[in-house]
Amino acid sequence: MSHSGNFPLEQPSLTYFGKAKFLAYTLAAAIFLAWSANSLELNAGELMRSMPVIGRYIARMFPPDWTVLEGLWGPTLDTLCIALWGTVIASIIGLPLGILAAKNMHSPAVIRVGALTILNILRSVSELIWAIFFVAAVGLGPFPGALALGVNFGGILGRLYAEAIENIDPKPHEALRATGANHVQAIMFSVIPQVLPQIVSYNLYWFEVGVRSATVLGMIGAGGIGFVLVTTIRLYEFQETAAILLVILVLVTIIDRASAVLRRAIVG
Amino acid sequence: MYMEKEAALNVAKSSPHETSGQPIISIRNVGKTYANGSVVALSNASFDVQRGEFVVILGPSGAGKSTLLRCVNRLAEPTQGKIFLDGKEITENARELREVRRHIGMVFQHFNLVPRLSVLMNVLSGRLSYRSTWRSFFYSFTKEDRAIALECLEMVALGHKAFQRASTLSGGEQQRVAIARALAQKPTVILADEPVASLDPKIARQVLTYLKEVTHSLGISVICNLHQIDFAREYADRIVGLCDGEKIFDGKASELTDNILKKIYRLNAEDDSDASE
Repeated sequence: MSHSGNFPLEQPSLTYFGKAKFLAYTLAAAIFLAWSANSLELNAGELMRSMPVIGRYIARMFPPDWTVLEGLWGPTLDTLCIALWGTVIASIIGLPLGILAAKNMHSPAVIRVGALTILNILRSVSELIWAIFFVAAVGLGPFPGALALGVNFGGILGRLYAEAIENIDPKPHEALRATGANHVQAIMFSVIPQVLPQIVSYNLYWFEVGVRSATVLGMIGAGGIGFVLVTTIRLYEFQETAAILLVILVLVTIIDRASAVLRRAIVG
Repeated sequence: MYMEKEAALNVAKSSPHETSGQPIISIRNVGKTYANGSVVALSNASFDVQRGEFVVILGPSGAGKSTLLRCVNRLAEPTQGKIFLDGKEITENARELREVRRHIGMVFQHFNLVPRLSVLMNVLSGRLSYRSTWRSFFYSFTKEDRAIALECLEMVALGHKAFQRASTLSGGEQQRVAIARALAQKPTVILADEPVASLDPKIARQVLTYLKEVTHSLGISVICNLHQIDFAREYADRIVGLCDGEKIFDGKASELTDNILKKIYRLNAEDDSDASE
């Protein structure tokens, strides 16, 4: 064990004041958690009592009924399409708003604040709420699902794009302005090429999230595999439910892996 | 104006373009004051640049060289004075800004290429001001544009690297691409803001030689900011000396004496060969 004599590697020790502060924070956190558990009616005893019920439900899922598999191809494809088109719509909404919202693009203040506000609204209303709204508006099926994902993810992606744009190197942009290129041309040739890797990466990630999300959207009538899933639950066909859950697990895993590989290939 | 008689140091090349007539650029009493009038970056600078002339603006860091250049293509707005391009005032009408900038190429200290785009795409972006926004949406250019861009790349001897990513090139090569981008604008003037400050001396000389020879052969005027005295002497048809935002010298390289240099660099010491930093 040799370390240079000039800089002895001593552990920085907490002062008494530091220790008191640490204790105070821990105590405060514990009190807050206890209080919030109370309002949840979180109760260990209740949980233990319901264990056998949960166990019975799980037992009824076995063995999974694989006969549903045949009918799952269509809904699975629907779910993937919802996620795909949801992400596409999200990019179409998010990119222009993201550009307008980015500080360094110098949009007029009114427009910038407007774009930020729209992005905030789209983002803070969950895709489930959007889906209920769109199902009511355009009817049952995958289409309202894609719209709901597109709108909510558009808000998220727009914000991420704006942050990516704010981190670009401004020098090429200035060089393009100096050639006489107009604002839009300068964005196309200096901003977009610089943020493209991040855009691709974000889109792939949110496509993954979209696949998981689309299965949930199905449950409220927005088509896809989630719709089949909730139907089997309502009919107490728990063995079919199990098979469908396993299919979703496999699907999400494959998508996660594939997009991770793709992202590395494109961005790297 | 300083016309010192003891013109001892004379290493300058003779200036080839001594055309009379209307100057291509006229700078008249141009000044720039930043932020609530407290910082004066440039005050009352006046000089002309003739067609095809290679003018070096010499001065220490913070002398206002950059501000002066940026006023010419209005990356910075002068707070005082007027600038004329080919007899037309360009400091007034904001709507014609795009038209004005098209005729003025610019080369920067840090090259300012888009690293992920190909070399050719970077050069082609010099053609954007001639093309519609609509076309630019699809990254589409005319055959003519491509021919011009390749020709400009050939002029800096980088035609063979057209399809590489700009980021794969060395610093000197990137600056040559930046020169090609400026040439692709078919400019009448090129502004070069410390074009070799981030290159080593050998590569710097190479880049300056390309800049000088190509612009000379095309009759393009150059205003080039430098802080290295030896480069200024070697390449300039004319030198304008700036210090603290004021013009101190305007004349041929042969007229740039040690005394004047000391004024530009505000030196009292006798040795000023390494005055730049």
